Amino acid sequence: MHEVLIALILGTGLLLAGLTMLIAGNKTSREVREALDRRRRSLLEPAVFQYAQATGHRSIHDYLPKPLSRRDRRLTERILLDAARIVKGEARDRVTAAFEALGSVRAAIQGLRSHRWWRRAEAAERLGLMRSRTAVDPLVAAMNDPEEEVRIRAARALGIVRGNTSIRPLVRALADPSRWSAIRVAEILISVGDEAVEELLLAYDGLPHHARVSVLDVLGRIRTLKAVPLMRRSLKDPHPDLRARAAHGLGRIGDPAFADDLLAALRDPEWPMRAMVAKALGRTQAKPAIPALCEALKDREWWVRANAGEALRALGPEGRDALIRMLDADDTYARHQAVAQLEEGRIIDEYVADLGSADPARREAAVRFVEKIIALRRVDRLTQQSIENTQEAVRSALAQILRRSPQEGS
Amino acid sequence: MSVGTRILIVDDDPVIRRFVGALLHANDYEVHEAADGEAALRVAGSLRPGLIVLDLVMPYKDGFDVINGLKDDLQTRGIPILILSVKDREEDVVKALNLGADDYMTKPFGTQELLARIRRLLGRSG
Repeated sequence: MHEVLIALILGTGLLLAGLTMLIAGNKTSREVREALDRRRRSLLEPAVFQYAQATGHRSIHDYLPKPLSRRDRRLTERILLDAARIVKGEARDRVTAAFEALGSVRAAIQGLRSHRWWRRAEAAERLGLMRSRTAVDPLVAAMNDPEEEVRIRAARALGIVRGNTSIRPLVRALADPSRWSAIRVAEILISVGDEAVEELLLAYDGLPHHARVSVLDVLGRIRTLKAVPLMRRSLKDPHPDLRARAAHGLGRIGDPAFADDLLAALRDPEWPMRAMVAKALGRTQAKPAIPALCEALKDREWWVRANAGEALRALGPEGRDALIRMLDADDTYARHQAVAQLEEGRIIDEYVADLGSADPARREAAVRFVEKIIALRRVDRLTQQSIENTQEAVRSALAQILRRSPQEGS
Repeated sequence: MSVGTRILIVDDDPVIRRFVGALLHANDYEVHEAADGEAALRVAGSLRPGLIVLDLVMPYKDGFDVINGLKDDLQTRGIPILILSVKDREEDVVKALNLGADDYMTKPFGTQELLARIRRLLGRSG
């Protein structure tokens, strides 16, 4: 029994000692490799940086030791990837040329054919960083990969490589929601920016309905004036969601010159469209829209009223004055929306502060304003101010008005 | 050519320090480096460089603190500062310029553009 126990203890001890030695050996070997890499990198890096910063047509090979070992090739690629994230312009083009000359692009393209999906995904990502045009066709093919992660990394890589041939498949991907997340593809196209606009505009009429919604959204977020004719046309599209996207897009681009188109669209029979148009009018900062936005405060749909109110608030002093005038509107919805916006914009607080003013005219105007707010039953904030305001004169004036003022409907 | 003009590169990313350092060295500038804001203020005080290339996002003391520190010190307040940062929002650019930075570039950057801006700043201060 003792012998078995001793053998068991010895066996376990030997196993643990063996494992410890294995781990230590592994760690030492990794540290040695890393130290060698660091040393080698310190020799290669100045040469690679010198190449990237140079002008002229000399190849990366002219700057590197010959023959180039596998380690040197790997380290050079790593240094080039570091340089790729730092520089743009001519130096960035030289980095891409170096990837091509070293065979890194070719190797990554081969990686796209790996049986392991994570290798294919990694290869797609590397090709994006390398930005070589020779990778466009293989990356387009990788957009049909059975693995979603590979497809999305290939799409991202194409977005980085740019150029019409890269953008076209991304636009097509918007049309295939079974294989693509439209949001992710849209984000990639937005990151491409102006360079994606032409392909988006060319493709628009041939795309299915849901893809057109995405295209209008992307164009609005890129904020390109080139998309204005399409958006103006789409304001009259039979599909309400395309009309709404177009209105949203025009709002994001934000030119007051769109006000007339948007004002006409504010009479749309669909309330989501009217809500979007109201919001867009606020973003365009178009002052002539104020009367129409005041009318929209009477809309039967809360979203339209709320967006119209926010738009008026966004239109500066003129919008704020319009909101104050709407406190006397004959429409209950409009009065309540106006007071909500005045509270949200802290305009009520400004008038409350005037209750303590030394100027009798300002004080009188503030009293009349506060009475209107109380009449509309918006008393919570006023009651709080009557207790917490730092000025005694304001607190007592407010308390007095609150006591004597009748409320709407009471 | 500004032979031997001292330039201090302040960036917590060693690759960027080495890359910009190599670029400036190849253009006959005397290059010094600092990896954080505190080291930057220390080195700037003792070295009195002709120009500082300064990152904004750094641990302990960020680039804005460094500009403040440099401008508070009589010995360093005249040193031109060129910001080289990934921050590209207008408010960051405005804040840096208002604090006293002389120029602002975003990463990634063009090497020739960086050199041109450095030459312009050194020409102006010299």
